[in-house]
Amino acid sequence: MTGVARGAIAVMAALSLGMGAQSVSPRGIAPWRIDPFPSTYRPLPRSDFLLTNAIVLDGAGHHLDRGEVLVRDGKIVQVGVSLAHAPGVRVVDAGGRWVTPGIIDVHTHNGTFVVPLTDIDKDSSDVSELNSPDVADTWIETAVNVQDTGFSRALEGGVTTMQILPGSSPIFGGRSVIVHPIEATNIAAMKVPDAPQGFKMACGENPKSQDADAHDIHGPTSRQGEITYIRDAFMAARDYRDAWTRYAQGKAASPPRRDLKAEALAGILAGDIHVNMHCYRSDDMATMLEVAHEFGFTIGSFHHAVEAYKIPALLRNAGTCAAVWGDWWGFKMEGLDGVRANAAMLDRAGVCVSMHSDSAITGQRLNVEAAKAGGAGRAIGIDVPPERMIEWVTSNSARILGMQTRIGTLAPGYDADLVIWSADPFSVYARADLVVIDGAVAYDRASPPAHSPSDFELGRTGAPHP
Amino acid sequence: MRTALLGSVALAILSGTAVRAQPIAIVHAKAWTMTAAAPIADATILIDGGRIVSVTPSGAVPQGAETIDAKGQPVTPGIVNSATQLGLIEVSSAAGTRDQTSEAHGIGPGFDVSPALNPNSALVALARADGLTGALSYPSKSDEAPFAGQAALIKLRTDGGILDRRGAAVVAVIGGNKWPKDAGSRAAQWQLLRRAFGKVADGRRGDGGKHGDHGHGDGPPGPPPGSDDAVLGDVLGGRTPLAIFTDRESDIREAIRFAHDFSVHVVIMGGAEAWRAAAELAAAHIPVVLDPQANMPTSFDELGNRLDAAAILQKAGVVVAFGMAGGAIEESYNAGLDLREGAGLAVANGMPYSEALKAITVNAHSLWGGGDGTLAAGQPADIVLWDGDPLEPSTNALTVLIDGQPVSTDNRQRALEERYLPLAKPQ
Repeated sequence: MTGVARGAIAVMAALSLGMGAQSVSPRGIAPWRIDPFPSTYRPLPRSDFLLTNAIVLDGAGHHLDRGEVLVRDGKIVQVGVSLAHAPGVRVVDAGGRWVTPGIIDVHTHNGTFVVPLTDIDKDSSDVSELNSPDVADTWIETAVNVQDTGFSRALEGGVTTMQILPGSSPIFGGRSVIVHPIEATNIAAMKVPDAPQGFKMACGENPKSQDADAHDIHGPTSRQGEITYIRDAFMAARDYRDAWTRYAQGKAASPPRRDLKAEALAGILAGDIHVNMHCYRSDDMATMLEVAHEFGFTIGSFHHAVEAYKIPALLRNAGTCAAVWGDWWGFKMEGLDGVRANAAMLDRAGVCVSMHSDSAITGQRLNVEAAKAGGAGRAIGIDVPPERMIEWVTSNSARILGMQTRIGTLAPGYDADLVIWSADPFSVYARADLVVIDGAVAYDRASPPAHSPSDFELGRTGAPHP
Repeated sequence: MRTALLGSVALAILSGTAVRAQPIAIVHAKAWTMTAAAPIADATILIDGGRIVSVTPSGAVPQGAETIDAKGQPVTPGIVNSATQLGLIEVSSAAGTRDQTSEAHGIGPGFDVSPALNPNSALVALARADGLTGALSYPSKSDEAPFAGQAALIKLRTDGGILDRRGAAVVAVIGGNKWPKDAGSRAAQWQLLRRAFGKVADGRRGDGGKHGDHGHGDGPPGPPPGSDDAVLGDVLGGRTPLAIFTDRESDIREAIRFAHDFSVHVVIMGGAEAWRAAAELAAAHIPVVLDPQANMPTSFDELGNRLDAAAILQKAGVVVAFGMAGGAIEESYNAGLDLREGAGLAVANGMPYSEALKAITVNAHSLWGGGDGTLAAGQPADIVLWDGDPLEPSTNALTVLIDGQPVSTDNRQRALEERYLPLAKPQ
């Protein structure tokens, strides 16, 4: 196999056009739509069940006391109160506990920022490929060490889906991968099937510093240089996309020579690849929205958007979400104007807002990050109810991934990803008691071992617990 | 709109610095005095002259006292973070705003951070608004292994200075990958530590023990105040604790041996694997300052990081305090909020609630001084009134008193929120 035409989309294309593995994709199928690293994920063993006696926050703005959720074949069939159900369906009594959709982390480096950090990470980390400011041709999943302890910790924190992103040193960082944090020995087994493609871009201090620090400067060293670099790359990508269009329309005899960097950007221009844009300052975000407008694409989300609260109308009008922290700020110049009420202020202004982690520590408690932002909102008169706040870590996050019709909400037809919490999920004392992915129990706090150690931890952590 | 807001901020800052002669009564408080495991309901807390006068259930309010109604909400002693770099760092990526370390050659244990403390730091104001009234601000490692220098106890006053006590601890750093090649092995780091203290101890013995006591006595004059020898002499004389930043079990046990051999007060900071030596630490009366959010094997020294470490240590009888909550981005930038969150996590992982509250009040004071951290008569009136459980990170501090005076909780984040709040209109 040459690594092409193995993904679901590509397989269908190959069947319909009678083409096998080839070094170019078939006429009519844009190459950026082909996934060279298809998922082999299979849901864990599961059974149908009816969850009863729960305080349900459905991720769609509803709050049900004594709510019920009916799950069949890994999908949610019904959510409500006093549901009728077929005899023989297993009934799971939530005992009055809170139930929410599974938590979604749209920004993790798990698997690439793998602890313990050692000298190899200083010399050549897998978080970012640094050979160029444009590494649009890289796919982060080819770097992910599935033995990272961060995955099981996140699962124990109620995370059912996460997006692993490349780092922010390059301007064009490469493709993301969307995974379920389940035990596996390769990333394909964790990869969510048929998930949309995501892409990481960065603006501001990180990319310009990276190149300014380099001995052999090969990229922009200023904000204006970064924007010029981005426009230049999208102009080239537009030409590349147009060449593929001409070929698809039969106006060109042979396909363009494949260019892995250009095709990632062409996929963005075509609306097939979701942009996750690392920007802190409001002026940086505003400029990037102008660039997106110039080239006719949408920025799905700004990540680390610490100044998003300064430009709610721009974000709302562009349909761009803000992925924010509960309280990180100030550690660099472009983070000085961070405020804790960022999420609450954006929510009030009608902007799609999501809590993201960027850290394996924070990624275990995104519910508490939301609570912090909620508390800060309350202090300035924005009181966000729990049924709304839960959207910051479920349905809004799903929208950033382009999966808002599939995960992040407890509603008929959605994947049965849900969490039963030991207490109010916005309390620091709350623990994820039961985590369900695709209708299967992925983590049960009551069933020892409380967590499976990763291969790294196995046989290494010394004496058992005292 | 903006002018009016700025005006109110300026007024609040002025009023925060006004001298208050009037006694204060906090009434209807759920008072965590920290002298008992449970709070006093409907307490009246009387404050005068900067100190607590009394805490009594349904106590009467003296005539002329200013009254603050807690409306049944919790009132606690001011929160203290036992390991921050507050006042020493403004923007960690901007070298010109950082004063937490000496990279100059030849500056070792005598390096004292206190002259660099910045009371006007935006980080300090935010921490104060989060209910933090005190903290240990510690130096990062120096050029001279294994020392970092002297930490300062700070009190988050608003009247020009935050230094409460200089030289509150001498800090050493020991562990894998902590030092460059000269002291690359932790064995060498321990040897350097022993050699430095051994040299000063020999000098003290040579003059009948008067050396090192700043020349008070009949013997020859001691080393100059603030010098490396004087600072280490203060540790040997029991006047200053030696805070050892270290994580691995082997180093924890070596620290216990060191404390015994030199008869000094040692405090373990970091202490990822301290729980493995909990009984021995308790027997040696060595307290541990933990990062209560640390549960990842961040380095090979920290493979034992776990969220129930605080509970294990406390149960074994070790005095536990909290600091560095959440690591680099939180320890100073969110020194108040993330410390409370960390204490809450310790509760979620088995630590009794009152013990977690002690870790950020009473226990911190027992390590660094500045009162005993209780709401008892005669104690400095560093007090916080909350709008809910202080260990919930969604809870806000409503009123913060330092030395008996309500202080401004204005901060730059709040000013930004107020400036941009009009844009957050429902659509």
